[in-house]
Amino acid sequence: MLRCGMVMLVLLILLIVLIFISCAVGSAGYSVVEIVKALFSKEDSIIKVTVMYLRLPRIFMAVLVGPALAASGCLLQAVMRNPLADPGTIGVSAGAGTAAITILLIFPNLSMSLPLFAFAGAALACVLIYTLAWKGGIDPVRIILSGVAINSVLGGYNSMLQLLNSDNLSGVLAFMNGSISGVSWGHVRIAAVYTFIGLFFAFMCIRPANALQLGDEMAKNLGIRVNLSRVCLSAVSAFLAAATVSVVGMIGFVGLLVPHIARMLVGSDYKVMLPTSILLSSCVLLAADTIGRTIVPGLEIPVGVVMSVIGGPFFLYMLRKRGKFNAG
Amino acid sequence: MQVNCNHLQVGYGDTVIINDMTITIDKKQITSIIGPNGSGKSTVLKAATRLLNYQKGEVIINGRDIRKYKSKELSRYIGVLAQKHSAPADFRVKELVSYGRMPHLKPLSSFSKEDYEIIDKVMKTTGVWHLRDKSIYECSGGETQRVWIATVLAQDPEILFLDEPTTYLDVAHQLEVMQLVKNLNKNTGVGIVMVLHDLGQALEVSDKIIVIKDGKKYSEGTPEEVITPKMLKEVYNVDADVISIAGREKPVIIYKELA
Ligand SMILES: Nc1ncnc2c1ncn2[C@@H]1O[C@H](COP(=O)(O)OP(=O)(O)O)[C@@H](O)[C@H]1O
Ligand SMILES: [Mg+2]
Repeated sequence: MLRCGMVMLVLLILLIVLIFISCAVGSAGYSVVEIVKALFSKEDSIIKVTVMYLRLPRIFMAVLVGPALAASGCLLQAVMRNPLADPGTIGVSAGAGTAAITILLIFPNLSMSLPLFAFAGAALACVLIYTLAWKGGIDPVRIILSGVAINSVLGGYNSMLQLLNSDNLSGVLAFMNGSISGVSWGHVRIAAVYTFIGLFFAFMCIRPANALQLGDEMAKNLGIRVNLSRVCLSAVSAFLAAATVSVVGMIGFVGLLVPHIARMLVGSDYKVMLPTSILLSSCVLLAADTIGRTIVPGLEIPVGVVMSVIGGPFFLYMLRKRGKFNAG
Repeated sequence: MQVNCNHLQVGYGDTVIINDMTITIDKKQITSIIGPNGSGKSTVLKAATRLLNYQKGEVIINGRDIRKYKSKELSRYIGVLAQKHSAPADFRVKELVSYGRMPHLKPLSSFSKEDYEIIDKVMKTTGVWHLRDKSIYECSGGETQRVWIATVLAQDPEILFLDEPTTYLDVAHQLEVMQLVKNLNKNTGVGIVMVLHDLGQALEVSDKIIVIKDGKKYSEGTPEEVITPKMLKEVYNVDADVISIAGREKPVIIYKELA
């Protein structure tokens, strides 16, 4: 418990430091003193405008989106009893992608409502996968397999549409490589609402999530309704991921990487693992976005791309190191 | 308290494994279920404890149909330890044992002082108290088995169902677990129903034995009534004698020498 407290304190401090750094760096760099002065002064200096309307919304977005994706991954891993489950497994990414591509390429006049369609696409794909996998109950392996099948079908459809419209892909690419550049406070408000709703329900799921880790029979013995729990956890997870994807596009690896590191840091108990994942994912996403917009001057690398490029090797590194933390 | 299984039919999908099985289990007793591999012992145990749905018949606990219980409510009457179980390797012993209190928790509340006392008590009775801060991964096979028994015991059930609690353990640990089960039954009055592989152990600890062959009840009764050369021949297809030895309360099984 002491250790968990320490870990969370360190992460919190790290997050605050990252927020300051992210405010300060960019195409124009400011010192922290300058920023604080500008924010508290009455006049609209260029520093104030940059920080207040460009950088801060983006920072808040990263801090909100990370936890939504990480919590989604955490819950799904409990549902599947498999640390490799992430929102992609239950079709959220492919479903949102299919809806987005269809809208952007075939019905461009509906692009204003893209988030709505993306959310619906994600939810539909998820429901489809669970319906196909249902056979007197939910079997994780059947979900994973029907997920693979649906993902493959939707992936094929997505590729075909893109091939047929190869001269018109910039919007699609932006969606597929999730980015939080150019978000406004309005976007942040939307993201805040769904993230807090989703996280509230995620915290309500801690007990069944823990029990599922002990296996179906032990969970049943402890009075958990296994099928119902799986459905509820999946629904919360899908909601968090689908809402996120619909606002910022696809950002991979967070739902997989962050819970994994959290598990190494504080163990598998969701009471501590979930809050740790939430804090850690804010740090990770904020760091990734800050790197993405500063590493090559004058060029924005979408946070989704940074996550994949840095997250992949980092994940491998963690896997190799794992023995030291946790023998399981 | 009694558990009555009446005309149970149980199976997986369309296949029927258990056919028209009627058994009665009394509280405060040690009941063993024996039978060859694949005869359906685990299947009966799971059906009697709602881990598996049965196809026909009924299971009555305390005079009430098992399907009428809320799942949490039932968990306060019966604790089941299935044949296979696993937990995340980093879980500490006391953490795992504390899950046994889950059926007693109200939504959103956390453990009371009483819960912690029960958790400590069952860790002491099962002899895992000194392991409480270790992770599961650091425990030996025998220790792990005792930790799991502590977990279901923390449910404070009236009847404990154990599926082959001694399999995979060496002889010393097998006897240790059997002694633990016997002490639990004697000192706390908790009823025990277990599937056992070792007939000698079943003979030694049981008040009552149920023999299952090919998904049907072959016989039931006291160890002396049930464990006979005839049963061993018909159910296990082995030749053996069951003899009394001066100074021992229970008879022993002597298998025929190998050729
Ligand atoms: N999950 C399952 N699905 C299908 N068949 C099963 C399953 N579990 C057990 N069986 C079958 O049911 C029969 C009885 O199994 P079980 O009750 O485990 O036997 P025992 O515990 O006596 O060794 C066996 O023939 C086994 O193959
Ligand atoms: Mg068995």
